[in-house]
Amino acid sequence: MRSEYCDGIDRRGFLRMGSVAGLSLAQLLRLQQTHGVEGTGKKDVSCIFIFIIGGMAHQDMWDPKPEAPAEIRGDFRPIDTKVPGIQVSDLLPRIAGVTDKLAILRSLTHGDPDHTAGYHVMMTGQHPGFGGNFNRNVLNNNMHPSFGSMVANLGGSSGTLPPYISVPNFLNSGGPSFLGPSYAPFVIEADPAAPEFSVRDIVLPEGVTSDRSLRRQTALRAINHLEHRVDALSRQERSLDTYYEKAYQLMTSAAAKQAFEIDRESPETRDAYGMTSVGQCCLLARRLVEAGCRFVSIENGHWDTHRKNSESLRDLLVPPLDQGVSALLNDLDERGQLDSTLVVLTTEFGRSPRINEMAGRDHWPQAFSIVMAGGGLKRGLTIGATDKQAASVIDRPITPSDMAATLLTALGINPDLTLHTPLGRPVQLAGGGRAVHELFV
Amino acid sequence: MDSVSFVVVKSFLNHITSALYGLSWVCVFIVGRIAAEEPLRLHEIHVEPALVQLGGTNRVQQLLITGVREDGRTIDVTHLSRIESGDPAIARAEGGMLFGVSDGEGTLHVSCAGQELDVPVQVRQISGYPPVDFANDMLPLLSKLGCNSGGCHGKSNHASGFKLSVFGFDPAADFDALVKDDRGRRVFPGSPEFSLFLRKATGVMPHGGGRRLPIDSADYHLMLAWVRQGTPIAQADSPGLVRLSVSPVDRVLEANTRQQILATAHYSDGSVRDVTSAAGYSTNAPLVAEVDRTGVVRTGLVPGEAVIGVHYMGQVASVQLQLPRSSGYVPFEFPATNAIDELVRSKLEKIQLVPSDLADDATFQRRLWLDTIGTLPSPAEVRLFLADSAVDKRAQGIDKLLERPEYADYWALVWADILLVDRQKLGERGAYELHHWLRRQFATNRRYDEWVSELITATGNSGTNGPVNLFRAAETPEELARTVSQAFLGVRMECAQCHHHPFEKWSQDDFYGLAGYFNGLERKAIAPNRVFVYHAGLKESRIPFSNKLVAVRPLDGVAVTAFDGDPRRELARWLVAADNPWFAKLAANRLWKHFLGRGLVEPEDDLRSTNPATNEPLLALLSQSLIDHDFDLKALMRFILNSRTYQLASATNSSNQDDEQNFSHHYVRRLSAEVLLDAISQATGEPENFPGRPRGTRAIELWDNRLPSYFLEIFGRPERTSPCECGRTSEPTMSQALHLMNAPEVETKISSADGRAAQLVKSGVETEVLVDELCLATLGRFPRESELQIAQQLFKTAPPQQAAEDFLWTLLNSYDFLFVK
Repeated sequence: MRSEYCDGIDRRGFLRMGSVAGLSLAQLLRLQQTHGVEGTGKKDVSCIFIFIIGGMAHQDMWDPKPEAPAEIRGDFRPIDTKVPGIQVSDLLPRIAGVTDKLAILRSLTHGDPDHTAGYHVMMTGQHPGFGGNFNRNVLNNNMHPSFGSMVANLGGSSGTLPPYISVPNFLNSGGPSFLGPSYAPFVIEADPAAPEFSVRDIVLPEGVTSDRSLRRQTALRAINHLEHRVDALSRQERSLDTYYEKAYQLMTSAAAKQAFEIDRESPETRDAYGMTSVGQCCLLARRLVEAGCRFVSIENGHWDTHRKNSESLRDLLVPPLDQGVSALLNDLDERGQLDSTLVVLTTEFGRSPRINEMAGRDHWPQAFSIVMAGGGLKRGLTIGATDKQAASVIDRPITPSDMAATLLTALGINPDLTLHTPLGRPVQLAGGGRAVHELFV
Repeated sequence: MDSVSFVVVKSFLNHITSALYGLSWVCVFIVGRIAAEEPLRLHEIHVEPALVQLGGTNRVQQLLITGVREDGRTIDVTHLSRIESGDPAIARAEGGMLFGVSDGEGTLHVSCAGQELDVPVQVRQISGYPPVDFANDMLPLLSKLGCNSGGCHGKSNHASGFKLSVFGFDPAADFDALVKDDRGRRVFPGSPEFSLFLRKATGVMPHGGGRRLPIDSADYHLMLAWVRQGTPIAQADSPGLVRLSVSPVDRVLEANTRQQILATAHYSDGSVRDVTSAAGYSTNAPLVAEVDRTGVVRTGLVPGEAVIGVHYMGQVASVQLQLPRSSGYVPFEFPATNAIDELVRSKLEKIQLVPSDLADDATFQRRLWLDTIGTLPSPAEVRLFLADSAVDKRAQGIDKLLERPEYADYWALVWADILLVDRQKLGERGAYELHHWLRRQFATNRRYDEWVSELITATGNSGTNGPVNLFRAAETPEELARTVSQAFLGVRMECAQCHHHPFEKWSQDDFYGLAGYFNGLERKAIAPNRVFVYHAGLKESRIPFSNKLVAVRPLDGVAVTAFDGDPRRELARWLVAADNPWFAKLAANRLWKHFLGRGLVEPEDDLRSTNPATNEPLLALLSQSLIDHDFDLKALMRFILNSRTYQLASATNSSNQDDEQNFSHHYVRRLSAEVLLDAISQATGEPENFPGRPRGTRAIELWDNRLPSYFLEIFGRPERTSPCECGRTSEPTMSQALHLMNAPEVETKISSADGRAAQLVKSGVETEVLVDELCLATLGRFPRESELQIAQQLFKTAPPQQAAEDFLWTLLNSYDFLFVK
């Protein structure tokens, strides 16, 4: 399908001609040198993507406003951190000790206060257009591929682990959309903090040796593919076929299986991260990335504090996160892996400046904070600013598409790449967002 | 393959005088084939409206320009035509629309591909604004600009305190919110441009929602006029909106084209208004056609059908579109077995799809068994059927299947999903009783209308009276209204509970009118997890918050006024009556979907005017057939199963390989969770041990949907928290593949000493016979030559017991086993 504007310029070419999403030419050239050929993906930067479900109260954690009136500033005080000039709330003492390893982006904004839409926009960089067959209960419910699926598709493979893994369950809007089932995540439906944690069915059952398994697999391939050419399979069969392929790769990789065995870590290490869901998920993610997974998405739930916001944050929600994420950054740094691992801490939206009558905060998509660390990005800085009440962005607004462009660029993927929907419509990977150039050297 | 290129046309030179007015449109050509550059040739063009009248409240008019091409095809040329206002001082043309400038009469010159047409234009009372009516003029803007959407000011506790009714269903409240609330600070009559709501909406002041409209726009000027006029709420003689019409109503489109839709609002005083740019649009088949906010439909390469729903201020209309396949069509033979086939054939002809051939006997038999009773045929059954030479053996086979005992188990399972039989909600006793009552209805083939009536009027002890548990699964009148409506009418009423349904005509009055039947229900606890349910008599029904009294009545029905006894009996009578527009239709659609893999309406329980069937006559036929046969479900099943359409092969041809809507071939589906587990147990000869159940209990017999079972969970068993089959999923996952390949539980079955593989080896039969048996037991057919060779290879390289197990493992992981073909 060729389409030209009346002055003869090829439209596809027009899209490609734009600069790589906001970076200067010098920055782009430097990236291409260090990160490899444009679009093929730097092979050695992976992503650990931690999604806080419900909406992180940005003013109570990352963007404190001690001068605001009491009903706005909340119950927490800012504390100094390792980086002079950067303050976080006193809920995050351990994070305060690693601010030199991360960047706080305080000017995220997107305007969608609905959870479902919020997941979608922060997991894919695009607002969903609801209607059609959107069904939040179905795995491949996305209007646009999630970042993990993009990375699985474009980031190049590194080994036998699935390139995109989710733990401890499938994340909303974490699906591959039109990229197809190959790029859906492998989901570990279990909590790594649980004593009996294991990933089911990835080893051969008793009584079946690897030789025998090979005979079986050969026979299976023959029966499914020889008699029927693969393209004569129905769409449903082809979908399942994709999963069989992936499953086979996983079960035949010793390194991959070992990566799941979190009890190979010392008790000291496990305690350093904290024996909590988010802590152990972070530790497992580190192992998975070491073993070749390109994108691990972690979900931590129940942050939708419409009631008893301060109490919930202080007593339940923040301490495990504070411990887990700081341990992760320290661990990655000690192992020399911080530059090759992008850690993103994100959420649907922030929370309202005004505390409501149930001592809670409501949704606030106009201004909120996320954190990006590692992956070769600049560290020890904050980007963007909000007003006195953390209610609106007054400096350097960052949209989810911008965040998408940043994430993709850090992973060596061109955010302006054009994909095509099944209808043939061209779609830009990062929806036209521009990478936050302040994060790149 | 089509392609498009844009070329400046020579005939532009013919319109030199008009060039002085600096138009933005050039005439373009569409090229139909890759290489040839055939210029577009039209026989004629038409413009809607035939007379453009601007002024008053109709200030902008979208044009719809339709051409008849040389080859007879009707196409949309709205955005390809040259549109010139003959009198730009009176009206201005831009982007396919005409804007009124000043009063007068003028002409519009429309031309495309050599065809020309002049359209008269009348502009009256364009200067200054007419008296603005809040409901007719302001409210639609609040929807169009997204102000009252559920994510913004339509939400119940918007942080700013400015609250609008979502979809604008409460004009009075919205008026107060804008004009009176918060000390009236949102409007500034003294200096209207400084009204807070205008400054926020135009982005002049910081606004969480950003800039919703430019200061210069027509919409802005209307809102400003409203403030200038003193924010009137209504005009004394304001007409009411009575209907929405669209053009075209249906059209056959080609791949990679555009079609403009024209949407017109009609008022009670006969006036009309073009609302194309203010209406909302949705498509029910985004793969086939997409639609944008300006009412432009775009098609790609995927053939099929799409319905574009158009809605404006509570009125709805729809546009039916068809994209026939552009290649591979040859006339075909499709000998009809019954009336179903006649209707399917005429649809296939219309849409130019060549159907596949009939499925062979083995495929048909396996499919029939799984679809009707959720059970694999045994090797003996397969041998019998294949050897049978009776001419009508398929019809006989159908009759026999419908009489098997597994029929009741399987259909109880299917309906338990819809009727919320969730052990977690009902407790063991309740779930057991309701499930077993359902099973009895199928075991006795009770009339559908009778058991539904009994169900919705159930009274008594939930521990002994199964159907009473429906009133524990859904407790409030609202939940019961939603449940009954979705399960038996296919009308999804959830939206109408809180506001006017956005895509259909249902209002809160309709919702609470229906819920009113369940208002007097009493539930008296008589023991732990047991209640006595009875109806205390008709009570009044009020809409919460507004406390407005509504008449208790069924949908589109007559109100129940005085009533003695249980009003649910009235509801039941209305529900199952032969003239109920939805009851039989939904049942027929459910059965069609069950056997054919896709409903005539999709989703199967979403019947509405903006979501029509892909074959309306066929749905009507099935629905009437059910009524005519006294709601005998087996009779309808027999009708469907005997059709040629049901018995088509699933293998596709070049013409129909993309078809997913018109039943040109059989749609392949994965076995559902319980059926798959049973199939594995049966094929291996080793039953599943369900905790607390006798050995040999089959998964399709289970009444406890929460029985711990990793297998059932990962293969999509539903939680039954919604009155639909949508909770059950057959999406593939890696966990499923890993489980089928490596699960110790599956290996145990395969290698069981009492299992099929072991027994066959012990019996000492030749390899060929053993292989035959394993294939018959799993795939329902004899092995192909290639499959026999694969098996023999296994027997060459391992001892017989191992080889047999390995071959069985292979079969259980093969797609011919896992899917119904």
